[in-house]
Amino acid sequence: MLDEAPKILVSVRGLKMHFAIHKGLLRRQVGTVKAVDDVSFDIYEGETLGLVGESGCGKSTAGRSILRLYDPTDGVVELEGQDIVPVTGERLRDLRPAMQMIFQDPQACLNPRMTVGSIIAEPLDEHLKLSRTERRNRVNELMDAVGLNRDFANRYPHEFSGGQRQRIGIARALALNPKFIVCDEPIAALDVSIQAQVVNLLEDLQRKFGLTYLFISHDLSMVRHLATRVAVMYLGKIVELAPRDALYSAPMHPYTQALLSAVPDPDPNAAERKERIILEGDVPSPANPPEGCNFCTRCAQVMDICRKIEPEWRDHGNGHYAACHRLGEA
Amino acid sequence: MRVKHLLSGACAAAMLAGAAYAERGADGQLNIIYWQAPSTMNPYLSGGTKEVEAASMVVEPLASYDENGNIVPRLVDELPTVDNGGVSADLKSIIWVLKEGILWSDGSPLTAADAVFTWEYCTHPEGGCAQSSYFDGVTSVEAVDDRTIKINFADPKPYPYTALVGAESPIIQKAQFQDCMGAKAPECTDQNFGPIGTGPFVVTEFKANDVISLEANSNYRDANKPAFGSVLFKGGGDAAAAARSVLETSEFDYAWNLQIEPEVLTQMEAQGKGKVVVSFQTSVERLHLNQTNPDPSLGDMRAVYAEGENAHPFLTDPAVGKAMSMAIDRDILVEAGYGKTGQVTCNVLPAPEIYASTANDACKTQDIEGAKAVLDAAGWVPGSDGVREKDGVRLSVLYQTSTNSVRQGTQALVKQMWAEIGIEAELRNIDASVFFGGDPSSPDTFQKFYADVEMYTNNFSGADPEAYMANWRCSEIPTPDTQWQGSNIQRFCNPAYDALVDEMSQTADLNERGRLAKEMNDMLMESYSIIPLVHRGGTSAHANSLGGVKMTDWDSELWNIADWHRIK
Amino acid sequence: MLNYTIRRLMFAIPTLFVISFIIFAILDLSPGDPTGNLPLTIPPDVREKIRESLGLGQPFPIRYLKWCQQFFVNEPLNLIENWTGWTIGDGERLRVTSWSTRSPVVDLIAERMPQTLWVVGMSYVVAILIAIPIGVISAYRQYSLFDQIGTFVSMVGFSVPTFFTGLILIVVFSVNLGWLPSVYDTTHKVTDWSSFWVQVRQMAMPTMVLALATTAQLSRFMRASMLDNLNQDYVRTARAKGLRERSVVLIHVLRNSMIPVVTVIALGVPAIFGGAIITEQIFKVNGLGALLIIGIQGADIPLVQTLTFLFAVLIVFFNLIADLLYGILDPRIRYD
Repeated sequence: MLDEAPKILVSVRGLKMHFAIHKGLLRRQVGTVKAVDDVSFDIYEGETLGLVGESGCGKSTAGRSILRLYDPTDGVVELEGQDIVPVTGERLRDLRPAMQMIFQDPQACLNPRMTVGSIIAEPLDEHLKLSRTERRNRVNELMDAVGLNRDFANRYPHEFSGGQRQRIGIARALALNPKFIVCDEPIAALDVSIQAQVVNLLEDLQRKFGLTYLFISHDLSMVRHLATRVAVMYLGKIVELAPRDALYSAPMHPYTQALLSAVPDPDPNAAERKERIILEGDVPSPANPPEGCNFCTRCAQVMDICRKIEPEWRDHGNGHYAACHRLGEA
Repeated sequence: MRVKHLLSGACAAAMLAGAAYAERGADGQLNIIYWQAPSTMNPYLSGGTKEVEAASMVVEPLASYDENGNIVPRLVDELPTVDNGGVSADLKSIIWVLKEGILWSDGSPLTAADAVFTWEYCTHPEGGCAQSSYFDGVTSVEAVDDRTIKINFADPKPYPYTALVGAESPIIQKAQFQDCMGAKAPECTDQNFGPIGTGPFVVTEFKANDVISLEANSNYRDANKPAFGSVLFKGGGDAAAAARSVLETSEFDYAWNLQIEPEVLTQMEAQGKGKVVVSFQTSVERLHLNQTNPDPSLGDMRAVYAEGENAHPFLTDPAVGKAMSMAIDRDILVEAGYGKTGQVTCNVLPAPEIYASTANDACKTQDIEGAKAVLDAAGWVPGSDGVREKDGVRLSVLYQTSTNSVRQGTQALVKQMWAEIGIEAELRNIDASVFFGGDPSSPDTFQKFYADVEMYTNNFSGADPEAYMANWRCSEIPTPDTQWQGSNIQRFCNPAYDALVDEMSQTADLNERGRLAKEMNDMLMESYSIIPLVHRGGTSAHANSLGGVKMTDWDSELWNIADWHRIK
Repeated sequence: MLNYTIRRLMFAIPTLFVISFIIFAILDLSPGDPTGNLPLTIPPDVREKIRESLGLGQPFPIRYLKWCQQFFVNEPLNLIENWTGWTIGDGERLRVTSWSTRSPVVDLIAERMPQTLWVVGMSYVVAILIAIPIGVISAYRQYSLFDQIGTFVSMVGFSVPTFFTGLILIVVFSVNLGWLPSVYDTTHKVTDWSSFWVQVRQMAMPTMVLALATTAQLSRFMRASMLDNLNQDYVRTARAKGLRERSVVLIHVLRNSMIPVVTVIALGVPAIFGGAIITEQIFKVNGLGALLIIGIQGADIPLVQTLTFLFAVLIVFFNLIADLLYGILDPRIRYD
């Protein structure tokens, strides 16, 4: 522990995002999808928190709920100490500049009928009162910052490559000098050769502007490269949260262990030595999660208690948190 | 002559006095709706009723027919006859003398030259004049002087009131149409849409197939007429909508040709906003009994008349036809299908009055027992299935007509009535465009008559039945040799009848003509080759506030529009 | 774009010639006699003379070439003369002439254009003005009460034919209430406010009947297009940018959703000129639809030929317009 505790920028407590399922002629509600179910964590200023998990585990929903792109069902999300869950309408709009998002699909997230310049300028128009020149200068600045040619401001998104489009998306996110950016799998849709460029750009920008990232990804090696701390999500819940190195070297939760064992190792000898944990079956439906521990249906080390009681979220020292009954025994 | 002049002058004066309270144009606008819109104002370029009637507000013939089918002078003071010397003794010419002082709507005087021109216009070989049959037999039209028109005929014409009489052949202005002769006729759009006339109204705007705006003719011969200052003559929609606009919404004052379900019309009339008016001319819904054998096994000789050979196995027996006629309850047919617009008739020539026979009126009441007795007496006895037969011939008929809900209703009723006396009927209906289409290659035309009985309506225009009664001459029978053209549909042939036709064509005296026409009608009726069912009328409706309507089916319904006025 | 347009227009010329020939051939082959509607009292020999005077005696290719000359040469020359006041040649040219009215077909069409455009065109405008907000709100509040009602009304508009809605309106508003006229007065001229009001009243029912049908179609289309776009990522982006909801829906979603809708609207324009046969008949508007139907019933071949061909021209032209609009509205599409 450092002398000076790092400042908490975002604090999430008990966040729940449930979606109602309607069916039938009269569209009655027949159930709920618990996409995010009671999630709590903090994000420190200037750090990158990696959020990993399989597809469909609720990572993106969590990210969007934190940014209030959804109306969370329950919970508290504090941005610089202010709970933004109950905030709506105009006041929420005023909060938007501080928190931004970079999306997975750079093609779909840009309005095809707007030029790059206007896409980047739009948040400026909406939130600031700038003169034409000021606005143009700011757009140029942003395009420079993300490594786009200024002359491309009058072009449309479809004229760019995937990597360039993601740069546009980043420039747009940066326009209002946000403090906190949720990167929702920003590289998943890109070619491998370009992924590194974008990741490097994100790192550069973080350094330059002092940004805080919530980096959502299913790519564990990329998260290892980028993140300060890593949270692992499974079926709407965070099962383990730890500083990067601790998590990668000594994963506590059986699910994290299984995930890490699936990462290909560049050292062929190491790869041979490693004992792979193969996860059986599919992720259960979030509309109908199992009783007890969510992971009990697929866990190699499952115990009777796992099928009855939900494991507690506990601190295991050095900022290493996990929720598993096995850890409770030790 | 002079006395007559004075008398008619006095009559006119009396009428003037009667209408003196009204001033020209005092009653504002008259709204007329014809659900079929006129396409032109020149009746010579379109034979359609709607065009003829629209034009009759503007252009006028020498004489018209009134609501009873009587001929009445219009542009002349007096009807020419043999008695007054207007018609020559050899019946080969007629002289019409125009009223004095009649002006065209442009202010120029009407002269005999205009009448001569009209004849030239309609008989021009390239003009395609739709009314040229009105000038059949006319060798020349002369202008004896400015007001005297002489029409010469090739043969004696006992009924000379065809050319320039009736709304179908009005006089058009020479000055306006002289450059529109023959092939040029269609190019004269302005003239055809806005003819200059002597009638009570003048066209101000003509929109083809849509609407005609007219205003009172300031040069009309009667200074107080017409009472309406303008006419809006609207076209389009359907008969029911036209009836509604007069009888229910009161948007229009007059609606024409309302062929709709009788009960619907009665309901609309019950609203009390207008009246339905019916006029009976000569339309008769009738049954024709085939006098030739339509048996399909005959091949080329099917339904072909062959001088008495190839006769129908039983319909040539008048007893069968008589029984069929007696068995029909015509009142029920009228009630079910026609309502006010039909009346029971026992004659194929039901009007005008002087031609209408009363000899056959017994058929007006149904007589089932009588019919049975007639058949019994003739040796037709009921077989095991109730259908009468004689010598192995069963009284079973194929009964055809055009497709039309009223006709199918009538067919069903008649079939039931015939079943009561032991005559079996098989019903068939054919699309009207095929049935009346006259295509010689089709087996289903009414002329080919490949059936035992068929039903439709026919009539004649004008008020003289001579040409109509000539339809039943032996020579008019349709055969393959005439491409199945011909009007003697039931193949009736009687030399005595042909003699009567010839006699009529030589007879000028009206009463004598009436006697001959009745005799011919009775001869047809007694042959029972035609069974008349319903005398059908034309139906129109007018608002309660519209006065002066004298509905006629003999001429244009608007023939006396100059006298129409608003009832206050 | 210009090159593309010129190329398309050049392709249109042979297409239209082929169309004109096909129309002519079909009309020639179809049964129908221009004298068929005349009363039975007109004798056959007179009918034959009428047919001859209409030029029906000539062989098919000659009649087609004559029509081509009249329509493609004489009529345009006549138009130029009318506009400029010049006299070209001797000014004696045979125009395409209708058989039933014996007047130039083009004049008939010009005469009927105003009421058709007023009624059918206005119904189209009304339909667009109603359909777009309904579609937007229905999509934005999918499955809400508003959406359900909108769906129901659309179903009604789709499934109930205009002759039925027209009649119902007449019975209610003309016969029972007496508020609106059931017959359209084509001679009415708008000169002041009160005559304008008369015009509005007489247009109300036919416009509404037609608009209901068009609205049903367009609003469904708009709704589907909006739903497609509402779930797009760029909409979420727009919200994340902190835009007002109004800007998100009206600027981002609506503008993108309008691309296919505008195309559909453009493709529907020729139908306006085609008039509305049934509705025009019911309210006696007597526009181009009524003209066409009268022409067909009366076997008025020059009229039907010319009208049908003009519709073909309009359809070809508005297809081009729709394609160009697509290109203008959607930057992803380039015609080069």
